Amino acid sequence: MHFFRTLFERIPPGLAVILFLAIFSGSVLSFKKMTELEDLEMWTFSRNHLPAYKPFIKKWNKEHPDQQFSLSLLNGRALERRLLSGFFSGTPVADAVETVMRTAHHSFAGPIDAIGFRDLTDRLKEEGLMDEINGPSFGPWTNRGRIFGIPHDVHPVLLAYRSDIVEDAGIDVSQIETWDDYFRIMKPLMKDNDGDGRPDRYLINVWDTIGGYLLLLMEQADGQLFDEEGNATIDSPINIKTMATMITWIAGPNRVGLEMKSNYASDYQLMLDGTIVGFFMPDWLIGKLRQNVPGLAGKLKVMPLPAWTPGGRRTAVTGGSVLGFPKASPNFEIAWKLGKQLYLSEELAVNLFETASIITPVKRFWDNPIFDQPEPFLSGQAVGRMLIEQAPDVPTRTSSPYLDLATKHLVNAAGNIKQYAIRNNKFTVEELLPETKRQMQIAQKHVETQMYRNVFLNKPQ
Amino acid sequence: MKRFRTTPIWAPWFFMGPFLFVFLTFTTYPLFQSIVLAVQQTFGPEYSAFVGLENFRFLLSDPRFWKALKNTAFFASGSICIQLPIALALAMLLNRPSLKGRALFRLVFFAPSLIGMVFVGMIFRLIFEKRTGLLNVVLHSIFPAFDLEFPWLDTYLMPALILAALWMHAGFYMVFFLAALQNVSKDQLEAASIDGAGPWQRFRHVILPAIAPVASFICLLSIIGSFQLFELPYVLLDNTGGPQDRGLTIVMYLYETGFEIGDLGYASAIGWVLALILVGLATIQRTFSRKEEQ
Amino acid sequence: MSQRPSARIWLTLIYIFLIIFSVITLIPFFWMFSASLKENTDFFSSLFLPTGDGFLGIAWDRLTLKHFYNLFTEIGIGQAVLNSIFLASSTSVLATICSAMGGYALSKYQFGARTFITTMVLSALIIPGPLLLAPGYQLLYNLGLLNSYAGLILPHLAPAFGVFLFRQAMLNAVPGELLESARIDGAGEIRIFFTMVIPIVRPMIGAYLIITFLASWNNFITPQIVLQSPEKLPLAVAINNLKGVYAEDYGMLMAGTVISVAPMLILFLLMQKEFISGLTSGAVKG
Repeated sequence: MHFFRTLFERIPPGLAVILFLAIFSGSVLSFKKMTELEDLEMWTFSRNHLPAYKPFIKKWNKEHPDQQFSLSLLNGRALERRLLSGFFSGTPVADAVETVMRTAHHSFAGPIDAIGFRDLTDRLKEEGLMDEINGPSFGPWTNRGRIFGIPHDVHPVLLAYRSDIVEDAGIDVSQIETWDDYFRIMKPLMKDNDGDGRPDRYLINVWDTIGGYLLLLMEQADGQLFDEEGNATIDSPINIKTMATMITWIAGPNRVGLEMKSNYASDYQLMLDGTIVGFFMPDWLIGKLRQNVPGLAGKLKVMPLPAWTPGGRRTAVTGGSVLGFPKASPNFEIAWKLGKQLYLSEELAVNLFETASIITPVKRFWDNPIFDQPEPFLSGQAVGRMLIEQAPDVPTRTSSPYLDLATKHLVNAAGNIKQYAIRNNKFTVEELLPETKRQMQIAQKHVETQMYRNVFLNKPQ
Repeated sequence: MKRFRTTPIWAPWFFMGPFLFVFLTFTTYPLFQSIVLAVQQTFGPEYSAFVGLENFRFLLSDPRFWKALKNTAFFASGSICIQLPIALALAMLLNRPSLKGRALFRLVFFAPSLIGMVFVGMIFRLIFEKRTGLLNVVLHSIFPAFDLEFPWLDTYLMPALILAALWMHAGFYMVFFLAALQNVSKDQLEAASIDGAGPWQRFRHVILPAIAPVASFICLLSIIGSFQLFELPYVLLDNTGGPQDRGLTIVMYLYETGFEIGDLGYASAIGWVLALILVGLATIQRTFSRKEEQ
Repeated sequence: MSQRPSARIWLTLIYIFLIIFSVITLIPFFWMFSASLKENTDFFSSLFLPTGDGFLGIAWDRLTLKHFYNLFTEIGIGQAVLNSIFLASSTSVLATICSAMGGYALSKYQFGARTFITTMVLSALIIPGPLLLAPGYQLLYNLGLLNSYAGLILPHLAPAFGVFLFRQAMLNAVPGELLESARIDGAGEIRIFFTMVIPIVRPMIGAYLIITFLASWNNFITPQIVLQSPEKLPLAVAINNLKGVYAEDYGMLMAGTVISVAPMLILFLLMQKEFISGLTSGAVKG
């Protein structure tokens, strides 16, 4: 044993310490792994959904002792990586996965048999879910004519505004029908009272860097980036006009927009300061703000989105999630049963509205009195009813795997047009139209090149 | 030299074994595989189709790739032109025996280089924020004319990245320069002083030639590191390329195409272009430093 | 040696400059620590610690440890800490031993392929890591090593860079006569390596150990690609994921960053010398 003694005497102390750490942490980890549970798994990306799901899963587990589900919360991007990697490589994924549009779209970018989600088209038809669920909600999950998930939501968008500020200024919002009305009536709020040379308040959170909101407004105006066959329609006349109008909102003397994504603590600060007076309010954001920014209680109200033209659409759509069932799961029947119960349960619909303000896509629950209850956070407005009134009007969302790319090019175009406007001092829609058209055509061309390059989707669909 | 006992034949192979095994499996094989992949389009590792040189052809016309290349080159040149002079200045300030607390200063300046890019990104994400971020608030309170809405994470993204990288790396390169400054001969410095050379002349003719080899090595290091920039913008920009892809770097684009879209083929093509650029830059650097030596 | 007055002024200016620069360098650290201790309601009302009537004008009673508490109880960050420790320590120990072995063979043995292997090691140094990401992922997929620690540790087991460093260190530091005489005394090759060679290059071992530990702790892109299960993720990836889910909870994000950064800072204070010599020699990978 002399050899080992000399070895230990001469071993560098740093090595010894790290060696100890390695052995210690390694043994703890390997011990932990043995105690892993053999449950079925459901993943979700949304912290907002958890309060409604947890009691449901708990109840399910009580009723189905041999079909226990465990629910885990994953960061959206992490979930996407894990899911797609699982689809690609066969590493284990969950039995039911609640995920966002982006992830589903990415899974649609390859050959049809490479889509890792189970094709639910026939099931949905046989069991009548197609009729029960709001039609537009299926859009993002329908690819090449097949449906790959149960829609979770409708996500109608309203306009939130700082009612205290607006009402103090004696402004009557019932006069507002179109975006033009909105900016005209609200404009007096944008005075510079603190003398720093810029307005104290801004009227809407539109900005060239926030692709999601540019898209939202384009869809509200009936413009789409992709048609039903999946062809890119970025440079359609309506899109060009909408884009040029939005640029006049964010640049020049008539700027009313502010960069605010409703996501970070700094955004909440802008809401609290009243720097942003009005902003897009999808249903899920109401719940999120109620929970994270209690200081806004009683200071906010919502109204239907101002329309682009008189009599036009008063809502839009943003985000969206789905429950999908990975093909690789051997427990599809159980997971399907759970998913169907979960998404079609009135109790859950009510619970989800109470905890997260999310409207169910299941039309027969829309009569539930819970949706007529006044919401104290929004000064007692019956926000559920307001959302449901808009629900049938929400624009259809695409399922194109290239939506993400198209949105990026949309942001590029918006930034370029904004720079053009500032450089050339052109701040009216008419003046901006030619350059907008040019930029939108560039965006269209780039997206098309990418689409035609994809050998797995010979014909872009 | 005559040896009394030969070493056993297996001994060098035994000691080389782990390296050879890992090297052949995880470097050589993937290196060849990357050539195979570069002429394919894939959807994950499972589905692939041969496309010939299409990837490279598309790469040349791909505006996002050019944007990424432009951003990366800008970051690299910005980093070199700002980080290295500051690092050298710090080193020269610290390199005087009469200075008390040298070790402490060195410790402080060096500390940021221990932090991974991800964590630096986490911290600076909040520091660079409009209106509420530390940087804008402080600058605004010192210079009231400074715009609270200064868009660090949008229009001025590259300067912001260079600033964050400066914070991280200045002390790191300083340590190299400190070591190099030990090579400057005191006699020569004194001789120059006696000849009436001013501080700038002493720097130009005595100090600079002495530290030139280290300086050119650090340049190369900084270029290689900068061209592989990934985590910092990835975290700063919430896992995207940022508005108008202003923060998209070559490796971010490689990651996005390979691991978000699933096209490992195109990602490999991007990787090869990156490798060629780096080899090219390294060759240029070597030719230059050779010339300087002659 | 007495100084001229102008030299003294000069020195004072240097001090002032250095102190200002040190403060700028330290501010992000201080800001991070204070943010991790603040309630979210205090986050924007004060730049650093919340101001109040307490000692030094700071409202000490408004500070809180709840972010750290939540991280460990609700989020289970302890698992990520453990994973990071395991990955960093096992990778660094194995990589150091294997690199030292490789360097030893290249510097102290005469064998036919030596020149060839040395050239190979040198040329491997210029291969940029990102080039191997895509084919490496495919390889791990084919080997069934995705989502496993083996898939992370194996490729970093014996970096060419480490082999090169140890070769350089051992060429001159380890005298050939010593090895010869040990062999004459009948010592085996493996024993010679562990009991004679390793102690000679002990400083190099410490330095290399520390930099591989640091590099592995801070590594993001490889675990992000290779690992999928949340319970396996190291801190770098877990913290970035935290940012997605808890975007609005700045206090918690900063607390998570403190947890990830503090161990490295403490380690640095304890082992400065190894760190600096290790990092400066290890810079090629930086």
